[in-house]
Amino acid sequence: MVTNKFTLRTENREGQTIVFVGGEFDLEVATQMRAAMEPLIELADRRLTLNLQDLKYIDSTGIGILISVVKARHARNAPFDVEHVPTHIRKLFDMTGITPFLAKAE
Amino acid sequence: MTKERNVSLTVPALPEYVDLVRLALYGIASKMKFSFEDIEDMKVAVSEACNNAVLHAYGGEDGKIEVQFLSEADELSITVRDFGRSFTLADNKESPSLHGKSIEEIQSGGLGLYLMQALMDRVEVQHEGGTKVVLTKKRMKSEETA
Repeated sequence: MVTNKFTLRTENREGQTIVFVGGEFDLEVATQMRAAMEPLIELADRRLTLNLQDLKYIDSTGIGILISVVKARHARNAPFDVEHVPTHIRKLFDMTGITPFLAKAE
Repeated sequence: MTKERNVSLTVPALPEYVDLVRLALYGIASKMKFSFEDIEDMKVAVSEACNNAVLHAYGGEDGKIEVQFLSEADELSITVRDFGRSFTLADNKESPSLHGKSIEEIQSGGLGLYLMQALMDRVEVQHEGGTKVVLTKKRMKSEETA
């Protein structure tokens, strides 16, 4: 649809891959997001960070994908975190209980 | 102003049409002067109901979702209905939320109904020739009129 189109951009920094996720992260873009994350999940020696500053909307599908990434990174003993979470998205993270799993931890 | 007002929308049961339902909801809830936060809550809840219909109702076959927005006084009721095979939303007995769970225990599914219930004032699910989910939100009175 016209408004709040899903956007995905990857930036490589020293030892860290940052994925900027913007717009509406929902069922419609689930396949695209999973495909984009798959190779990045495997890079266990790099920190993987999702920057959500331009994220407008997320549903349970999007949160489900975040959970899969959390678990996959944990299984590889690889660092993963989420930064710049907008307030109304943070509310959904808190509500579902995913928040503690998205923090920087090492 | 206790008149009922009714808006209906029928969309194909496909992922790319769920945002259309969100746009309609946004327009209607804005007219009713719901707060930004309440509108965001309802957007998620309505999308979850539509997602369920998209994912489970028609088993890959073509199908439709009927959405009805009914505004009455300070309440908005949204009915999301499909005509596919019924899926039991409340099937999962264990709590789908992640609170108090370890990273090994958390699962990526089943959060839809949990979110609907957390975000709306009332959630009713009926199975009759498909699945019907009725989501209701009351508008907080921002100012009392004399």
